[in-house]
Parts: sequence; structure tokens; C-alpha cells
Amino acid sequence: MSEVVQSLWYKDAVIYQSHVRAFYDSNNDGIGDFPGLMQKLDYVQDLGVDALWLMPFFPSPLRDDGYDISDYYSVHPSYGNLEDFKVFLNAAHLRGIRVIIELVLNHTSDQHAWFQQARSSRDNPKRNWYVWSDTDDHYKDARIIFLDTELSNWAWDPVSKSYYWHRFFSHQPDLNYDNPEVFEAMWGVMKFWLDIGVDGFRLDAVPYLVERDGTNCENLPETHAIIRELRKRLDAEYPGKMLLAEANQWPADVASYFGNSDEFHMAFHFPLMPRIFMAVQLEDRKPIVEILEQTPQIPDSAQWCIFLRNHDELTLEMVTDVERDYMYDEYAKDKTMRINLGIRRRLAPMMDNDRRRIQLLNVLLMSMPGTPILYYGDEIGMGDNIYLGDRNGVRTPMQWNGGWNAGFSGADPERLYSPLISNPVYGFQAINVESQKRVPHSLLNWMKRLITVRKSTKVFSRGSIEFLRPSNHRVLAYVRQYEDEKILVVNNLSSSAQAVELDLSQHKGSIPIEMSGRNLFPRIGDLPYLMTMGPYQSYWFRLRRL
Amino acid sequence: MAEDSFLTDDLLRQLISVGEVDLLVGLPSHNNAETIGRAVEAIEESFQRAFPRQRVVIVNVDAGSNDRTSEVFLNAVPRKNGNSRGLTSLRTEHRVVTRYENPSSATVFRTIVATADLLRARACAIVSAATPNLTADWIGNLLQPIYRQDYDFVAPLYARQRFDGLLARTLLYPMSRAIFGKRIRELHSTELALSGRLATNCANQNVWHDAPIQDLPQTCIALTAVTSDYRCCQSFLGPKLRPAHVSAPDIVTAVRQAVGALFWCIDSQDSYWIDRSGSEPVPTFGPDHELTDEQVTVNLQRIFELFRSGVAELSPILKAIAAPDTYAEIQRLETLDERNLCFDNALWAKTLYDFAVAYHRTLLNRDHLVQALVPLYRGKIYSFFRQHAASSPSDIEADSENLCLELERQKPHLIEHWKVNSEVKP
Repeated sequence: MSEVVQSLWYKDAVIYQSHVRAFYDSNNDGIGDFPGLMQKLDYVQDLGVDALWLMPFFPSPLRDDGYDISDYYSVHPSYGNLEDFKVFLNAAHLRGIRVIIELVLNHTSDQHAWFQQARSSRDNPKRNWYVWSDTDDHYKDARIIFLDTELSNWAWDPVSKSYYWHRFFSHQPDLNYDNPEVFEAMWGVMKFWLDIGVDGFRLDAVPYLVERDGTNCENLPETHAIIRELRKRLDAEYPGKMLLAEANQWPADVASYFGNSDEFHMAFHFPLMPRIFMAVQLEDRKPIVEILEQTPQIPDSAQWCIFLRNHDELTLEMVTDVERDYMYDEYAKDKTMRINLGIRRRLAPMMDNDRRRIQLLNVLLMSMPGTPILYYGDEIGMGDNIYLGDRNGVRTPMQWNGGWNAGFSGADPERLYSPLISNPVYGFQAINVESQKRVPHSLLNWMKRLITVRKSTKVFSRGSIEFLRPSNHRVLAYVRQYEDEKILVVNNLSSSAQAVELDLSQHKGSIPIEMSGRNLFPRIGDLPYLMTMGPYQSYWFRLRRL
Repeated sequence: MAEDSFLTDDLLRQLISVGEVDLLVGLPSHNNAETIGRAVEAIEESFQRAFPRQRVVIVNVDAGSNDRTSEVFLNAVPRKNGNSRGLTSLRTEHRVVTRYENPSSATVFRTIVATADLLRARACAIVSAATPNLTADWIGNLLQPIYRQDYDFVAPLYARQRFDGLLARTLLYPMSRAIFGKRIRELHSTELALSGRLATNCANQNVWHDAPIQDLPQTCIALTAVTSDYRCCQSFLGPKLRPAHVSAPDIVTAVRQAVGALFWCIDSQDSYWIDRSGSEPVPTFGPDHELTDEQVTVNLQRIFELFRSGVAELSPILKAIAAPDTYAEIQRLETLDERNLCFDNALWAKTLYDFAVAYHRTLLNRDHLVQALVPLYRGKIYSFFRQHAASSPSDIEADSENLCLELERQKPHLIEHWKVNSEVKP
């Protein structure tokens, strides 16, 4: 395989996201750990994914689930130690699974030694590593992100008697990237983990690195300059490694983070995700088509990351007010389900545990432009617990079997880091890996087959997309094309059977071959191609010219 | 085309794609390329503002335009409502077109209500593509009472210049109010809204080919709502402008169409009203009515002359239609000069009822009978102009109310004559 192709591995990957803490507990202390994760790598490999994205596992007071890092060079003792990580990483690589780790560039925990030193006196050499002010007047145009908990982006530090800047929780002071020492320190952190062998970083909260008065302090040119410098060093010293941006912005703003192939390799497409949910609920393709048509072209080497659910709330920042109200009304009728500007629920409960809808959403995820990310547990249809506070309800232990602690841990149930999902519908007795492995048509086995089909071609990962516009708005149809290969995707977004006529005149003469069963369909002729589709049904057709 | 397939296959194919909807707006058109684009903008703006979540469709029923009206309809670019990123309604906003060559209004309206029925629309508004000042508020005001408040029929109310809409003011409203007992001012407007239930009822009626309602089927729809005890209301839309290049129909045509349709409804629905007396208001959204004070120039001399010549020419017919005392009074009026002619409310009420009875008994060709009312109507509006030349809007309104009350007071006279030699249809 050529170097160039290998270096674009992230474009063809299917990524699986998990938290070490939630996956498997090897030492029966109630908390998942790296040796446990390593034991379950066969499962991950069998699922067919190419990469693991791990949420923060660094030492942390865990006031924001690890996104409040107090030491960038180590592993939180609950999850093991650095040696455990290295062993795990090696085992993953032996199975062909790459590992992407989190790096929180924007801020640290207020317990980090850097901040402790910075606040200790105004003369401390680390003082200028954070953003301080005697007043809370600066950067008034910056929005508050955690609306449910924070009143201001400035917090008063009683130790040094001044304000410090924080875009997220007040216990997460922002680093000062106007100070070159900070940049060098963070590059040092990256080098440390790259030298150990990690394959990429998901860089958290990227748009907020730099602050300037008179701006909203997001996506500033200075921030892009920092990213460019990181990328330059990465390419020079660690070719083939990948940077993934977390920038919850509109596509046009996020696209700038790809630069001219000199910033991020990948970035999340945040606005697409809620619109997939919206389209299925509305039974109307409009939201999806509209947002993808607004999505700008990105460099050939760049890639969108797309997802259905993740460890955070289903964010509704990148929707209009009307759309947000609709999403709340349809998917979060119980206000407990809502947090910040979003919905803290997992995929299966949001789909009312309707297998057909869960499959449809996964089909959309796997066939749209971008690298798909699966959130652990969604492959078996795990439920959530909206009463656990913050977003912990979607971070409960993985459900491996119907036995003791769902097979997650041998500890006393009371000792688990989080209660298990135990209700009759989504509880571990009903939803678990072991039982689904035994049933050929389980969601888990269906997911494996879907991933296999997706990976049978590069069209989905690299191809262009062209929407068809049948008059039936409940049908979302598009042609993906990469080089000479074409795939027609047809999805019925509605709960009832639909007839649709597709204008496939451009592909006249082609024979559609349904990709899961490899069955031939009638050759495309002069007339509109008539299809009838069951509720929430999808087809992937390879268009062959034979 | 067979009677049971008046909807074209092409329309059906479009409807299959649209599927079930919440809201349907019917947009009849005929050579309205100049105004239909604005109408579409207004309708879609209303969808975006008031119904962003609902499944919506606009159905253009075109009467054989040769000015590319339907193309303009399909290609009209929706106005953006200022949402960020250009996102507007959540759902696809459908536009459907169907065309007939020279259809009657009844065919156009029937197509719209049948479409609403097929698509199971919860609310259906019908607005004219010719109206130059159609706004998003109009659509909202027509649809909201049905969609949000469960009404079945919404009649429009307009701000009118004080001598505008005289046929409605002096005849259609007072007479329909007195007979059917509901105070709905605009029974024959080109704008209205109806619920899915009422649309289904109307679509299933066997009246669409009856001659009297071919030109104004909306009167029949409105009175079906009233007589079937659907929940009716009125909604104020504001002033209605006439299309720049379209002149008002002449009086004969207007009377033939509007009065013909009303008389036909009175005749066919007598079992509903025969035992009712008085009238009741219907809920009204916005002002009950609004008269403006602009001055208008009217050729009173001409109206007077047409009254006298018409009465003279139609004397034998009028004698056959009107009761003897009514006819005698009309004869007396014909002899008066311009200064003394006064067609008062009592005589006008009596005259209308005599004509209704004659229509019921089919004393002569019904169309001719209705046309015979035209000179008398001229006499009435001549009196109206003279009486109210300097009246304030409230004086005019008070006089109109008096006419309504007079018709209500004389309704027993109508019933008495109606029942003679006739059986009220069950």
C-alpha cells in the first residue's frame, strides 16, 4: 500500500468511540480500565471498525468526565497506568485497530499544576499561561456555552484576586495561546503520546483557543495559525497521524479548519446530525438535503466525521430556533431529557426502540459523505438513564451479558462508577452483546454486516454525492461516486410504504445490484425508475455497466 | 372524461408524491402570471411563519391560462424569512399544478376540496391568484381558526370602501342571515377556508353539476357548513384590492351568479331554515367589519334610468313574481322622480322574499327570474346612494343592520308563502 493511501486511512475508517471507564472492568473495582479494554479488543475487531476513539483518560478531578485534565502525561489511576496503556495500544495495533485519543488544548483543570502555580502569585512564571484580568469586562461578545451552569465566561479567583477566562466550566481555566510557551508545552504533550504510538488526536474545543476583544472569540485567525503550526510539525515529524477537530460550528466555519490541507485532517459535521433525526421524524428529506447542500467542498485529503450519538448531549446549537423547538418537542418531551442546548439521550430510546428506525439512521450514517463514528453500546441498542445528571445517562457501563453487572465488572453493583441500565426494555438482561451474538438477525449482527458492506468499497468514504429529487419527499435518494464506481442509495424516511420514481436517466443502461444480497434489479431504461419501499426501508445499489 | 375521474392522472401522480398533509392552500388561476408569484410568496411565508412544522401543499388549479401562469407558480422563489443559514420551513413545501380548459368555478373548487379530501388535509384555504394584495397574514388568518381552534369554516371579512360590496350589503348578507340564521357577511368571496371534515362533505356532495352554483360554488360551500352545523367563524383579512386590469363584473352577471346561487341554496336547504327564526352571530377574529370613508363617483342618473326602464320592460314578469301589494308598490316607485324614489327596507325585504318564493315554485325560468331582480336591485342601490351620500360608516352600518332585522321580521311572511302548495323537502 502506498504511503499516500496509508496516510489517508482516516478517510476510509469506521471509528468506534468509547470511554475506558465504561467498557470493561478487569480488576473488579467497578471502573473500566485499559486491561479490560484490551480484553475486549476482539469484540471491537469483530465489529469491523478500524479505529477506537477514547475519551480522556488522563488524571483528572473528573468534574467534567475527564475533560478537566490535571496531568497530560499520565493515565488516571482508575484506568491503569501508562504501561497498561502501552500494552493496550500495542494489542490494538496488532489487530489493525488504530487509536485516537482526546487532547484538550483549550483549557486545563483548575487542579492542574500549571494553574495552581499561575494563581499562586501574579509574578509566577506560569501566570501568563492562563487568561487573567482585573475586571470581567473583556470579550463581552463571547457567548456562554454551558448555559445551564455558567453565568459568565469570567470567574473570580480568590487566591490571586483577579478574574480568569473560561469558555466552559469555571473549573476549567482557558490556556493563553498568546503565550508561545503554552503552545510549546502542548506540542510537547502531543509528541509524548505520538512517541508512544497513538494514531491521532481528537482536539477538543478548538474554536476557542484565542480571545480578542470585539469578536465572539471563536474561529479567530490566530487560532487557525496555531493549528497550522501543529499540523506542520505533525506532518514533518509524524506522517500518517491524524488531527480531528471538535468545532461545533456551521459547515462553512468548520470547513475553514481544513485550511488548504494544512490544518485538520478531519472535523465533525455537527449540523448534519440533528437534521438526520429531524428528517426521520418529519418523514421529509429536506433537512438533510438542505444542510449538505450548504456544506462547502473540502480539500481532497480532508474528511468530515459524522455521527448519530456520542458522549455529549445531542447538540442543538447548530439549528434554528424553530428546528430546536421541534427537536425538543419530538425527542425530549420530558424536560429531564434536555441539557444545555441539547438532548441527553441515546440512539435507541430516541427511536422509541424501533429497530427499523435505528437501522435506517445507521444506514444513513454509513452512506453519507464522511467517516462514521459509532458510539459504544449503540450497536446493540443500549438505553440511557436521564436521571443520572449531566450527561452521565449516556455513559453507563457497556452491557456484555445478562449476568452479574451485565458482565461489565465483578464488583459489587453498588461500587460501579455508574448504575447499569436495568429497566425491562433497555436493561442489560434484555439488551446485551452475548444474547445478540447468538441471534443472526440481531441489531449487533446487522451492524456488522452493514459495516462490512460499507467497507467493501471506497465510494462511501471518498465518493461524491449527488442528490436525486424524486417528487416523493419522503424518499431520500442519492448517488455516491468514486472514480468509475457508482452506488445508488435510496431511503424511505417514512413509517409507511412508499412508491417513488427516480430519474436515473444519467445512468441509463446500468444494472442496479443490491449490495447486501447482491441481487440484480431491472436495468435502468428510458422511463423513471419505479421503486416501492417498505417503511424505513433502505437500499444500496451498485450501478454496474455490463 | 368520465364523471368519476374529474381529477387528472397527472394530478393524482403528483398527489401520491405529496401524501398526507396538514394544510392545503388552493390557488385558482386564469392568466394571473403577474400576481401568482406574489401569492405563492405570501402563502409560503405564512407557512414558514405560522406553520413551520406542518405538512403543506399549494394546489394551483389553472383554468387554461395562456400567459405561463403555472410556470410562474412552479418557479416562484420563496421569500426567505431571515432565519440563519437560509433555513425556513422544516418540511418540503409542495406545489402541485393541474389544468383544465375553461372549467367552471365549480370544477375548480371541486378539484381543490377533492384534493384536500384525498390528502386528508386538516385545513384547506382557497385564495384567488388574481388578488394583488394577498399577504401571509391572510393565509394565517384563514387557516389558524381551523387548524388551531377546530373551526370548520372560515369566511373572510374585508375592509371595504363604504359603497363597495353593495350586493353583499343590501342583499346577500341580510337575506342569508335572516333565512339561515347565521351572521356571516361574505358568503361568496374568493377567499375562504374549510376543515378536512367539511372538505370531505363537500367533495361527496352531488351538487357540483347544478347550474346555479357553477359560477359561485363558494356560496354552496358556506351554506353547507351552516346547514350541516359545522363550526363557522369569520376572520378579518383587511382591504382587498381588485386586480389592476380586471374590471368588476357587470351588475346583471353579478346578480345572476350570486343571487342565483343563494336562491338555489335557499331552495335546496329549506328543511334547515323553515322552522328557524332570528339570527346569531358567529365568532369573529379581528374587527367585525371595517368601512372606509373614501368618496366615490357614481352616475346616479344612469342607475335611476335603468331602474325605471327595467321595471317598465319587465312589468309582466314582475307582476307574475311579486305579490300583488309588492308589485303595486314597485309600480308606484316607478312613477316617482329622482328626488322622491326611495326603495325602503320593508319593501326590499318583501320583494326579495317574493322572488325567493317564485324561484322555489319555478314560476318561470329560474335564470330569467333572477335577472328580473336586477332593475329592482338598481332601485335599491339608487336609494342607498342617495340616502347615504353624506352618511358616516356607522350610519351605513346601522342602516344595514335595520335591513337585516327587517328581513328577519318578515321571515314568517316568507315561510307562509313558501309552504303554500309545496312540501318542504325532508
